Amino acid sequence: MKNPSNQPQAQQPQLPEGFSTESLKMIGVVAILVLAFMNFQVVIDFMITIMVFIYQIVGQNFGITIILFTILIRLITWPLNAQQMKGAKAMQDMQNDKEWQTIQKKYAKDREKLAQEQMRIYRERGINPFGSCLPTLIQFPILFALIPSITYAIGSYPLSVLKLSTSVLFQDITSLVPLNSKFLGMDLGLPERTLIFGLSIPVLALTVAITTYFQTKLTMPPSTGGANDQAAATNQMMTIYMPVMLYFFSVNYAAGLSVYFVTSNILSIVQYAMMGKVNWRNLLPGGQKSQDQKKK
Amino acid sequence: MQKKLLIIGFLLLAALLLSGCTGSTAWPGLATDGENVYLANGQFVHSFSLKDGSQNWQYPLQASKNLLFYSNPVAAPNGLVIFGSVGVEHTLFAINPTKFPQGQVQSVNGFQRFLCSIGLATCPEYKVEEWVFNGAKDHWVASQLVLNNKVFAPNADGNLYILDLNSGSLIKKIAFSGDSGSANRLWGQPVTDGKHIFLTSLDRSVFAIDAETYEVVWKQNLTGAIPGGAAIGSDGMLYAGSLAKQLERFDPETGKHEPVLNTNGWIWGTPAVDGDNLYFGDVDGYIYSYNTKDGKPNWEKPDKLDDEITATPLVRDNDVLVATKSGNIYSINKADGTFKVWREGDKKGKAYTTPVASGDLVLVAYLETDYILVAVDQNGNKQWTYPLGK
Repeated sequence: MKNPSNQPQAQQPQLPEGFSTESLKMIGVVAILVLAFMNFQVVIDFMITIMVFIYQIVGQNFGITIILFTILIRLITWPLNAQQMKGAKAMQDMQNDKEWQTIQKKYAKDREKLAQEQMRIYRERGINPFGSCLPTLIQFPILFALIPSITYAIGSYPLSVLKLSTSVLFQDITSLVPLNSKFLGMDLGLPERTLIFGLSIPVLALTVAITTYFQTKLTMPPSTGGANDQAAATNQMMTIYMPVMLYFFSVNYAAGLSVYFVTSNILSIVQYAMMGKVNWRNLLPGGQKSQDQKKK
Repeated sequence: MQKKLLIIGFLLLAALLLSGCTGSTAWPGLATDGENVYLANGQFVHSFSLKDGSQNWQYPLQASKNLLFYSNPVAAPNGLVIFGSVGVEHTLFAINPTKFPQGQVQSVNGFQRFLCSIGLATCPEYKVEEWVFNGAKDHWVASQLVLNNKVFAPNADGNLYILDLNSGSLIKKIAFSGDSGSANRLWGQPVTDGKHIFLTSLDRSVFAIDAETYEVVWKQNLTGAIPGGAAIGSDGMLYAGSLAKQLERFDPETGKHEPVLNTNGWIWGTPAVDGDNLYFGDVDGYIYSYNTKDGKPNWEKPDKLDDEITATPLVRDNDVLVATKSGNIYSINKADGTFKVWREGDKKGKAYTTPVASGDLVLVAYLETDYILVAVDQNGNKQWTYPLGK
């Protein structure tokens, strides 16, 4: 609609010079993070309350509670994960971009100019350099609160049972305590061990390591094959570090946390598959290399 | 370089994330034998001289990530000190304090231990355990009961292990299953009237076994979990508080029981017995006094202190000392229930542990503060602390 009068239109609020909407988003995320960490116990209490609610619905089975709760968390963070994948893809596409590669070569010794050119390309192509990390940052309070929430709810120790009493909001949990921590023959409050041929095998921890390996491998973006494709090297390292780290964690801590890791890994693969981002070839021996060769 | 930093940052972040569940799992355990005080706190159990707070010994000599100690150590009549681990290794230890080396103990770090294990170095060895018991499958949350040269050791795996005090050999294992077949988590220290041994479970049950034959005499279910132990009143009845917010009275012979006092919050600690009176607190911060003789509360209204009460009150001549989560220790007048702050906390430390008294000293253990243990005189004045000098 045209302005009927000749009066000037109300002026739009202008951001200070050098201040983009991205900067505003970043400040917003930091503010959310600060608020969440300042009231971290509130986040934990909220999660425990939801878990206890699910626990009652599913007939007081804490294993199923953890699985459903993990699904719920995945659904809530789905848009953030999707945005993260999108951001990562855009950044990777840029690495393959001929113009960007030329610029990198041209200004290899002038870092300042290189940074300016990089920002120009970001602007021109509508790439948000924080597009892949901001959604991850927003999820941190959830992830940080999740593990203590599960630990308190399982209640294997005096302090966790006591914390449970003050953490559950809106209801009296007297009749529920202690929560039933048995699931598939395991005590979710203890590290799991299964006797196989007389040997005590940490089957669940091994499952955590295997699913983490598959999750990392399958969700690894295809290599660009570029000379400076450090991202591929980083991802390769992750496929080793992450399973090993989570294995040692799972061997020593409550099986309930391992159930969470396994569920989370499977759901992550499912989400990537639904978005068409799973690279099944990565599972094949030399799969990554053969993709590189095809590109070449 | 940036990518490497990214990986390191990510791994650090992941480690931080995973460390979310590695905080304290329980509060320190505290006990005294009249000459020494024993403190179970995390990776170590310490023994201090009551006189000046100097450390007699600590066990183990080197921290192990698989061992954690929080239950009250038990000083047995034969001189052994017994305590169990709530860590990944579910070991029950009987330590002989006379076997600790005199003077400075040589410290051996993890790398040295590794070299020793592969024969490239020699590490000093101190064998201070009289015996160890590795037969349990879960945490040792409860303290043990020593009676007639036997150790009655309840475990969170739902078994009561009866061991020989001198050798640690297993005499009998009694499994306490719940109605659904699941194990009863035994968290409370057993108590005895000489004829029976009474046990409480987090899974809402109370048991009595014959002290001679070890046969289960009775089992009763309550409507709430019982994280603490039971107490035997001067009337010979058994009293236990539960998370169902009730003090329950049991006939020791038959197990017949009834609630005798309703509370505002969960009852966590074991009631303290003082003649005909019982004293106990609840998680909402209320303190109660119950007369077992006339079956009525001594005070018209329970006092509300400033924070959660999980500890058993400490009975003295004229008053009862009560520790609250805030770190404050309150003095409750036995006669009328009036109270005052006896010793103020430092705003950081949490006093979940039951204080103990010996001679002229009262010992208080704290969680999450600069000093874990403080010895105070009868007026609440600090005499010494651990760590010393704080």
